[in-house]
Amino acid sequence: MTSTGSSDVLLTVKNISVHFELEHYHLQGLRDIFVQAITHPVEYLLRTPELLKVLDGVSFELKKGMRLGILGINGSGKTTLCRCLAGMMRPQMGVIQTSAEVRAIFDTGTGIMPELTGRENAYLLGRLFFPEVRDLKPLVDEAIEFSELGHFIDVPFKQYSKGMQSRLMLSLISARSTDILILDEVFDGADVFFQQKLAIRMKNFIQAAGATVFVSHSADQVREVCEQVLVLNKGKIGFMGGVEEGIAYYLNSQPK
Amino acid sequence: MEMNFFWVQVRDLTIASLKSRYRKTFAGFIWVVLNPLLMFGVQSLVFKKFLNLNVPDYYLFLLSGLLPWIFFSQTIQMATPTFVTQAQLLRSFKINPLVILASQVADNFMNFLITFLLILLPFYIESGREIWPLFLLPLALIPLLLGTLGLSISLSTFNVFFRDTNFVMGFIFSLLFFLTPIFYPADYVPEQFRFLIYVNPAVYLLEPFRDLIYNETHKFFISLAKGTGVSLLFCLMALYVWKRKINDFYRKL
Repeated sequence: MTSTGSSDVLLTVKNISVHFELEHYHLQGLRDIFVQAITHPVEYLLRTPELLKVLDGVSFELKKGMRLGILGINGSGKTTLCRCLAGMMRPQMGVIQTSAEVRAIFDTGTGIMPELTGRENAYLLGRLFFPEVRDLKPLVDEAIEFSELGHFIDVPFKQYSKGMQSRLMLSLISARSTDILILDEVFDGADVFFQQKLAIRMKNFIQAAGATVFVSHSADQVREVCEQVLVLNKGKIGFMGGVEEGIAYYLNSQPK
Repeated sequence: MEMNFFWVQVRDLTIASLKSRYRKTFAGFIWVVLNPLLMFGVQSLVFKKFLNLNVPDYYLFLLSGLLPWIFFSQTIQMATPTFVTQAQLLRSFKINPLVILASQVADNFMNFLITFLLILLPFYIESGREIWPLFLLPLALIPLLLGTLGLSISLSTFNVFFRDTNFVMGFIFSLLFFLTPIFYPADYVPEQFRFLIYVNPAVYLLEPFRDLIYNETHKFFISLAKGTGVSLLFCLMALYVWKRKINDFYRKL
């Protein structure tokens, strides 16, 4: 209840729920709907969308310095939760309160304009990812140097291998720390040679962040990065607490 | 503050996409001018020389309807698939998807300005009209720009859910071209068919531009008011669709 206590909380999730509408009929396009509406008008008008609950009453707090791992099988709502935390999705019920700056990364093997060079793509992504930075040059230059792409940096981005693409993108997004960092299964793309050097940078990046939310299928990565674990089970929090107990809970709850 | 970031991002993205188009050859630039020029050439040949439409200053008349129409229809058909083609990027980072869409509209708008300067302006000056209405041009472009942006947001969101939206829009636009007074004046439409003009939202977005460039200026302020109203409705609709569909948007992307 003290003021210092509440200022430690960077983000509060209060009882959030997210559901999607599933169409009864699998209508692919407008032409399908048109034909359906003409041939079966009554069924078309009476159809009720089925609701798919993806998150169901999730509450927790993200405190300063917290490194929270999120575990759960596919379809348990991990990515939806991350998108809500990042402010990309809006829960239908409940609220997420934060005044912190949130950055979220879900994949790294992508550029913005493949015809432009790696350098130009790095600038563009820098602009989209760090809107508050006025002069991007020092930041982008540092990232480019770290990525060790050499003369490849001025080659069109579309000619990069998947590994090179994520090397550049990871170097760039880790160039500036943030209040809350959300990493959703991002360590799969970069090639092995680069992995170690990058791992150190990413660790520093995570350390520098005010708080981190880390989604991974790999128990080892979660052990390395996190000191608390939240296990999602069919859209609800199945477990929240220590890393080892969390991992054990997750492994036990998996269908055999 | 947030809004300021938004426009800086739109600006940089627009510059980059212009760069990427004009990167290798001059062809991209030539095409921007050549495409409307050819459409203008063929239509003025058919409607003025073949069909002998009796409209004074027909070239200026046609251009003042055709150029905004090309901007309107091409932007929407280019913007509609944008979210789907950029799906990987939008899924990867926390990026405002509307930035990408707005930069598409801005990109096309630059092309429109180029064609305006290179094609329409010479005809305007040649017609001996007064120069001062040109200073009101920014006003005439508000409904066109806002309406196109609003419709682009709604339709590109729609396209995430129904992937053939762009195909259907192509068809609708080819019909709409004939039902919109572009190569013929609205007064040519017989009384009993006039309602077709009034229910066509595209008319309201295009009309202020033509009234300013071609018709008398006193009509301009009325059509500007109507056009701004319609374009604001499109923006409100876009906002509603966007807020309502944002969750399903990411699921379907």
